Amino acid sequence: MWRVFLLTVGAILFGPLLILLVFSFNDSNVLALPFEGISLRWYRIALSDPSLHRALLNSTIIAAIVAPLCLILGTLAAFGLTRFRFRGRAAVAGLVAAPLILPWLVVGIAALMAYAKADITLGLPTVIATQAACTFPLVTAIVGAQLFRFERVQEEAAIDLGCNRIQVLRFVVLPHIAPALAAAGIFAFTWSFNNYEISAFTIGFQQTFPVWVYSSVRDPDHTAVVNAVSALISAAQLLLIWGGLKLIKRRSSNEAATAMITGATHVASTK
Amino acid sequence: MMRLPGSSDTRGALAVLGAPVGVLLLLFVVPFAVLVQMSVLKFPPSTASGYSLEHYWSVVTDHLNLKIALTTFVIVSIAMAVMLLIALPLAYFMVFKAGKRELFLLLALVIVDELAPVVRVYAWQVVLGRNGLLNWILPGPPIDWLLYSPFAVVIALVTSYITYTTIPIYAAMKAIEPVTLEAATDLGAGWFQQFWRVLVPLAAPGIFVAAILVYIPMYADFVAADLVGGPSTYLLGQRIRDVILEQGDWGAGSAMNLLMLGLSGIFALLAYRLSRLNRMET
Repeated sequence: MWRVFLLTVGAILFGPLLILLVFSFNDSNVLALPFEGISLRWYRIALSDPSLHRALLNSTIIAAIVAPLCLILGTLAAFGLTRFRFRGRAAVAGLVAAPLILPWLVVGIAALMAYAKADITLGLPTVIATQAACTFPLVTAIVGAQLFRFERVQEEAAIDLGCNRIQVLRFVVLPHIAPALAAAGIFAFTWSFNNYEISAFTIGFQQTFPVWVYSSVRDPDHTAVVNAVSALISAAQLLLIWGGLKLIKRRSSNEAATAMITGATHVASTK
Repeated sequence: MMRLPGSSDTRGALAVLGAPVGVLLLLFVVPFAVLVQMSVLKFPPSTASGYSLEHYWSVVTDHLNLKIALTTFVIVSIAMAVMLLIALPLAYFMVFKAGKRELFLLLALVIVDELAPVVRVYAWQVVLGRNGLLNWILPGPPIDWLLYSPFAVVIALVTSYITYTTIPIYAAMKAIEPVTLEAATDLGAGWFQQFWRVLVPLAAPGIFVAAILVYIPMYADFVAADLVGGPSTYLLGQRIRDVILEQGDWGAGSAMNLLMLGLSGIFALLAYRLSRLNRMET
């Protein structure tokens, strides 16, 4: 009974991607069965498409800048919200949680209008700015949950033993939140890389990978190529994230890893 | 609390929170204020034209908008119901039955969410299409309503948002003592009573969180409807996008955006009240 249920859920979630992967080797330019032979034709065409190169490069550049920015901003916010008591703390917590709840469509349109009003030309910098502002709260949620679980006694002990603020951060807090930082970094990177809505509204005439997929699937001649690339990118992401999380799991206990992931979504939504 | 000599909490907080809060104010709050401003300007983006509420009036009196809103409400609500039907047993399994596999299932849920959403929605074309996998497996003439239909949009929405529905419910169930369920069994409750009178009320906070994280964003989703929907599933998110980008009507577009946010917020609140009622009965 449970087995059937789990298999069904698994098939619904991962099945389409697997099928996409299988179809990408099909030597036919329509998305259809039966198989007309195995070929790497679509991969060859995809890999020689300059617009795809540009889109992948753009996505990588954006994510590679957004992720570290989010780690810095998100950790600062998490530290401020969990370690200080001050007037307006609830308001700041609410402000930080807001981008996680507001739909990307609203965020993207608001950003588009604001950039237009301020006469700022759209391009990679505008995508990076808006994405960073709307993704760092995710890092705050993940790291905040970890800081919240962390015994503050240890920080106080370090201060009593003569550590200054920087030393406390470097030798006591940082090692403890390292797994959370790694997880948050992975999430921020993939959120940014995969984001369609914000990128589409704020990038102007360029393309990111999701924007490229979007514009390509409407062209029937292109679908086989999109299949191949999508399957390839998904497989790469799967391996990277799986490997990353495995590594984190090895560094922290099972229970801590579970708590970190659930805590993240929980804090993200209730604070 | 970090007590450091010679530093007041407020000053410390300001130093640490200054940058993130500043970024949010500049890149999130200001754009949102611009959106609000555009919705009440007579001829946006010109501020000289004066202010009025006519965009709101024209949006809510437009028959087409009301029809689209209704379609969106129906599709999004069905998707939410299907997700709850999957998420509740799934979360229950993960917390009480999975044992060692718990972390694996959790990781699988998180990882599937981290794969490109556009690709995941698009992949359904291959499964549901006229020449797709399902029609190839199923005997008889090809079924046309599988793809570019409400059915396809619901499936795409469910697979896009299931992670954020399941994990909050999972987190809420994690706090339930297994003894509670054992007590219910001892008192003679069947599995449905246990589920409906014990598990669901205790998991209600998680269900509410899921409603906020999932129900509201789904109202603005246009990826699913764009890629696997048809003319009968023209949703609010697509409408808003088209009004702003294709018709260039910023006033109506931003008014729709804000109305949509308001309405979906009210629905989420209702869901919250309902979940509370359920708890009080018990």
